[in-house]
Amino acid sequence: MSATAAAPLPRRRFSREWFVAQLIRRAMLIVMLLVIAFFSYRSLRFSSLDNLQTILVAAAPFALIALGQTLVILTGGIDLSVGSIIAVSAMTGAAIAKANPGQVWMTVGAAMAVGLLAGAINGFLVSRVDVPPFIATLGMLTAGSGVAFVIGDGAPINGLPAEFGSIANTRVLGLQIPVILMIVGIVGLGIAMRRTAYGMRIYAVGGNRTAAEIAGVNARRTLFSVYAVSGLLAGVSGVMLASRVSSGPPTLGQGYELDAIAAVVIGGASLMGGRGTVWGTALGLLLIQTLNNGLDILLVPAYWQNVIKGVLIVAAVAVDVWSVKRRT
Amino acid sequence: MTTTTEGPVLECLALEKSFGGVPVLKGVSLSLELGTVTALAGENGAGKSTMMKIASGQYRADAGTVRVRGEELSAGDIRDAHRLGVAIVPQELASIAHMTVYENLFVGRELTTRFRTLDRRGMSRRAAEMLEVFGVDIDPGARMGTLPVGMQQIVEIVKNSSRGAKVLLLDEPSSAISEREVEGLYRVVRQLRDSGVAMVFTTHKMAEIRALADRVVVLRDGGLVLDRPMTEVSDDDIVSAMIGRELEDLFPPLHTVPRDAEQVLRVEDLHVAGQAGGCSFQVRRGEILGLAGLVGAGRTELLEGVFGVRATTSGRLLVSGREVRRRSPAAAIAAGMALVPEDRKQSGAVMGLSVLDNGTLPRLSQFSVAGWLKQRARAQSVGAAMESVRLRSRGLGQEVGTLSGGNQQKVVLARWLTDDVQVLLLDEPTRGVDVGARSEIYRIIADLAEAGMAVVMASSDMTEVLGLSHRALVMREGGVVGELDRDDLDRPDVQELIFRLSSGLDPRTDQRSATTDQRSAAPDRRPEEGDA
Repeated sequence: MSATAAAPLPRRRFSREWFVAQLIRRAMLIVMLLVIAFFSYRSLRFSSLDNLQTILVAAAPFALIALGQTLVILTGGIDLSVGSIIAVSAMTGAAIAKANPGQVWMTVGAAMAVGLLAGAINGFLVSRVDVPPFIATLGMLTAGSGVAFVIGDGAPINGLPAEFGSIANTRVLGLQIPVILMIVGIVGLGIAMRRTAYGMRIYAVGGNRTAAEIAGVNARRTLFSVYAVSGLLAGVSGVMLASRVSSGPPTLGQGYELDAIAAVVIGGASLMGGRGTVWGTALGLLLIQTLNNGLDILLVPAYWQNVIKGVLIVAAVAVDVWSVKRRT
Repeated sequence: MTTTTEGPVLECLALEKSFGGVPVLKGVSLSLELGTVTALAGENGAGKSTMMKIASGQYRADAGTVRVRGEELSAGDIRDAHRLGVAIVPQELASIAHMTVYENLFVGRELTTRFRTLDRRGMSRRAAEMLEVFGVDIDPGARMGTLPVGMQQIVEIVKNSSRGAKVLLLDEPSSAISEREVEGLYRVVRQLRDSGVAMVFTTHKMAEIRALADRVVVLRDGGLVLDRPMTEVSDDDIVSAMIGRELEDLFPPLHTVPRDAEQVLRVEDLHVAGQAGGCSFQVRRGEILGLAGLVGAGRTELLEGVFGVRATTSGRLLVSGREVRRRSPAAAIAAGMALVPEDRKQSGAVMGLSVLDNGTLPRLSQFSVAGWLKQRARAQSVGAAMESVRLRSRGLGQEVGTLSGGNQQKVVLARWLTDDVQVLLLDEPTRGVDVGARSEIYRIIADLAEAGMAVVMASSDMTEVLGLSHRALVMREGGVVGELDRDDLDRPDVQELIFRLSSGLDPRTDQRSATTDQRSAAPDRRPEEGDA
């Protein structure tokens, strides 16, 4: 299972077909390298270590929700609510931090619990009530953003204790905590998806739910779990974001779900479920973030950045569809 | 309407077609005349559907041509076929369920008013007229999806003929419809024939060939083996042409099951949700129990109910004397049951996963420690299981979707064999499998039974039930209506008997052995079970 369609590689290495197949298979990686090469050529600042740090810090909150999104999309669903869950958990974290300045762990725990709860509600609706994922999470998207405003009484929560602000800025081994969470999340989940029974169940349910059930897989439980995990990761992402800006704006995370979905899709996952990888998502995410960063450095206006991103999403899927067609 | 032009309206000349290097049609020629009905018969995988798809422009033939009234059909062009008056009514209907009957009839050539808006009243009236010609009573304003499949099929046929189709290809027209609806279908077909349309239908049902066809063409392994007027052939001629050998060669010799063999599976008055009857039966170690009956008799439902993937409202299941929880595939698997479902693509294998992953899936917990997969153990175990059925693949990493039908079926079967299986439930074990692989799969099933499994095999293929079962149950409307032992199955008139039982006709009085199962109708529900 590769990032793009897993066209079977021709047996003979270094033949012409082999190179073509490799090119299609590694299209994402090649585009990524080209992008990096281009920016490095245009700007000295781009390839500095500082800038790499900047890219990673910017990527971290997206990475967590994109990971959750990957699991959901692998089951053939979609989670539109992660942006709102970020807002709710950020507001919850901020409110609790303000009331109990010393209790950092309680703050983080509560924010994560809120995310998990929201995800569990999604999961319950999808797996038990059979509400289509698009609708269930659309409801949560709308309701969640309302709740975020309710918590802050319609306004951002400011004046947070310094301890709260330091969570996301603490460095371990020279890396900020959100970056570490991102790396651990990608590597951990990437391995788990290929090496654990849980990962295999997700692929099986997404690939063919009936077949999975006949093989004894509890599909409802699997479905429930992916939404719960997605909510939990959004909760973590939310509290980290709030800590980084040291406040609780109720609009935090707005529209993030679309970036997360974009990363998963660019990474080669099929919205029909059953196909895609965590590695692909990570690459898709880094590509988006690198583009954002590089275009910022080159002073390309934000509107044009959106245009480029949009084209990239469609192009990635078009190449994918084309390469699948090519082998049938 | 009767246009009796001399000569064939449709000619297929030496059609050849291969899929992935496997020849499916090997130079088949066929010509049709107006006002005739031709039955295209043959086993699964004989090439019937491929032939139809080439004739209707869906597939491009590798070699050979199709001519309609002397004009050559551009290969692989459905629109060209339509233009020339060739239409196909596929097995999976192409009607739009959410739209009304008249909308379906007129989609693509809508009637409009002076103001270029849809003339709904006009279309509805025309639709009613078109349907009335065939004497079918369908409300043109009804949603297509609310009609029974048989009615939808008739609408589909009417749609095509009203668009000027002179050649109609019907792919397994009766496969999904009830007995009652079949009569309506027959009437429509005969009426179209009398109005001068040439029709071909694929089937493997003898009764249907007799009822409709003027001429029968039999394909076997991609070649034409019989093409004669119905008046000149007997049923036996057709059957032996379809199978191409004596039945005994297709099936392995059956071992005998000792009378005192242990009872492995016991089903007591199992009521499957949505089915009328309750079923009771038992299977002994080493025994193959066939389930026969018409489409819709509830065979698949019964197997799925036993395995727990389909809801059951009451009844008891016992494997080797121990009760198994209903409605839980996991409990069924733990008790040693295995299900090989009817439709591989829909419910058998996960086509996008590898052979190894598909082989691991049913016994995930056995192949993992604390959730982590034991890579070597599962590769070894799945490899051995696949080896035991002589799977032909490029390796365990190959995607199941890229295997041939027969090999996919082997994966779906063999993935259970990584551990002890007590009860093997097979639903249409050779559907979509070519003849060569069929015989191999029969051997595997017989070997597994001989090794001690209790096998239940549901099949709509009568020869399969007759050739591979120690005992057979005949089902109708969700219940068991008859039981035949091996001696019954060897009687020359057994096909007739099964047909009578499964279609609700009185079995002849001298058939004492065909005991009607009274229990199935008895309302002895257990008090603790509420109705769903």
